[in-house]
Amino acid sequence: MTFQSTQDAFDAAFSTAALPAVLPAVILSVGALLMLLIEIVPGARASRPIVVLATLVGALFANFTQLSDPAGPVLDGIYASTPETAIWGMLFAAGALLAWVYSIGYYGEKARPFLAEHDMLFLSAPAGMTLMVCSQDLLMFFVGLELLSLPLYARAAFRRERHDSVEAGLKYFLLGAFAAATYLFGASLLYLATGTISVMELKMMMGDTITTTPVFLAGAGLLVAGIFFKISVFPFHMWVPDVYEGSPTPVTTLMATGTKAAAFGFLIPISFLLPTEATGLIAAIALLTMAAGNLGALVQTNIKRMLAYSGVAHAGTILLVIAGYLASGRDDAIGEQALHAALFYLAAYLFTSTGSFGLLAMLERDGEDLTTMRGIRGLARRRPAVAAAMTLFMLSLGGIPATGGFFGKWFVFTVLVQEGMYGVAILGALMSVVALGYYLRVIVNLWMEPLDEADTGRVAPVTLPAGIATAVCALGVLVLGLMPGWFLDLLG
Amino acid sequence: MAAVSVACALGVVVSRSPMQSVLNLLGSFLALAVVYLLMGFQFLATAQVLVYAGAIMVLFLFVVMLLNLTDKEPAQSWLMGLFNGRVLGSLASFLGLAALGMLAAGGATFEAFEGGLDGSHEGGLDPIYSVAEVLFSKYMLPFEAASVLLLATMVGVMLLAKRERGEEDLGQGGGAA
Repeated sequence: MTFQSTQDAFDAAFSTAALPAVLPAVILSVGALLMLLIEIVPGARASRPIVVLATLVGALFANFTQLSDPAGPVLDGIYASTPETAIWGMLFAAGALLAWVYSIGYYGEKARPFLAEHDMLFLSAPAGMTLMVCSQDLLMFFVGLELLSLPLYARAAFRRERHDSVEAGLKYFLLGAFAAATYLFGASLLYLATGTISVMELKMMMGDTITTTPVFLAGAGLLVAGIFFKISVFPFHMWVPDVYEGSPTPVTTLMATGTKAAAFGFLIPISFLLPTEATGLIAAIALLTMAAGNLGALVQTNIKRMLAYSGVAHAGTILLVIAGYLASGRDDAIGEQALHAALFYLAAYLFTSTGSFGLLAMLERDGEDLTTMRGIRGLARRRPAVAAAMTLFMLSLGGIPATGGFFGKWFVFTVLVQEGMYGVAILGALMSVVALGYYLRVIVNLWMEPLDEADTGRVAPVTLPAGIATAVCALGVLVLGLMPGWFLDLLG
Repeated sequence: MAAVSVACALGVVVSRSPMQSVLNLLGSFLALAVVYLLMGFQFLATAQVLVYAGAIMVLFLFVVMLLNLTDKEPAQSWLMGLFNGRVLGSLASFLGLAALGMLAAGGATFEAFEGGLDGSHEGGLDPIYSVAEVLFSKYMLPFEAASVLLLATMVGVMLLAKRERGEEDLGQGGGAA
């Protein structure tokens, strides 16, 4: 794009609508910078939690204002604020807030001097996620992706004294760098084929003969493969169990919910890049992902690892909506329905997963054993409230009616059935039944096994922040499960 | 030039001494910069020389030299490496000079060629100007986000490195370092 003068370029790029649209990301970035400032100002350190809270609540509110009055595409079309991105943004802020609350008191004495840096990195991740879902440009997305990923790599290795944490950080970093390179290679091939990296311009080009050239297809494939890594679908899911298990649990929480949601938030709108012939391939990948996740989870004895595999299975389920969209011949209405289904699914998943990982973080404080199947035996006798919340989250993950997880699955399979993909839908539903096997095992261990006498006294106390966060998560799961219409009304 | 670049890249892989590899890499980068220049990408060529041949190369050299000091390498191969390194070093500096010469001489001609090709750079706008124009208008947000990204990365790296040192101080005291 060329301009007659620099002034034209500025006028095209900036308008008064741009500020509210980018405000959520700006608030989060400013909060992250403040984190560093208050660390060097004497006496200001105590205000750290207040700044984190204010930043995340501010971002939540800034997104909320965009919900009723979205700014649309701004900044010369590289960034767009829609009701969907506003809800994504609210989910990211809420998810980060809940994960942060669970991190209070999680780290031991040794990590205390580094908490400001930890929180600074914690705030930059939702900023990156917000940029990712709002981006209408392959370059913008990449910057957002890295803004999310690089701090996460560092935080995965936050517990430096532990080998598994360092291993998680290194593994995540190396594979993440590989995925980023794949994405960039795909983007540059797309640019080579079409001469643009704007999502809108690419969309207008669809149907041209240009979009069936090998260069274009290779570019689209590599681009999507790069994002597939982030959402951890088969065969890019190998890193998930190790990284999720090794990372500090509050970090895992954000990794499992936010990263996945942000990547899907961009992937579904750009899945028009894939040819309709790829329907079968995507459906096969989705089903294999579900199989790999569920079968992996069945044999785990560590709950954190089990939840990691279950996260892989959930990613596979959400991927099915893309298959449905492609089967419809890339129909825009179906695309929107697919996006809404994924949005609902991930909203429910965010509350469920945050709650269950958060409870694990709370239990973990007093010893590792408590996050194994053995360790939670008979927990219901000692901490009935914790066990009840965990049960609710497990039921929601399994997709039992009256929880958010049920309607998430319902909407995803609706998209498939509409497109006549009955076989895929039936296989997907069967996979969900397999998944119930390991979720129920947790519940059985919680309620029906006798209390291990040796563990008496080792159960961590429920702290007030963690209790509130768990209550919010449980409420979110129930509201989404009992009143799904309320959430759908938000989307208009 | 592309052939030189590929040949140097091959040299990086096959040469025995790390120093030799690094200098080969330098040659490869510079040859690539000249390729960019021939294609009319002045900004890319300049960035290539400044960032890759300049900053990243120095970093590589530092690392190699630090490692070599502690390595117990046989004297023979080390001398050989140095000798070969010198030869290749002079080749690389020759290439660098050539690149600079091309930059100076090519500035006018390629620019004219570019302008004539698609007519987009009217009013004497050079490619660097148009890069800057887009960078500070359309791509302002990613540009700013990248600065936050770099800062966050820096904090992350410091976080990891600082703690390591703290632990060493605690654990080792005056032990073998």
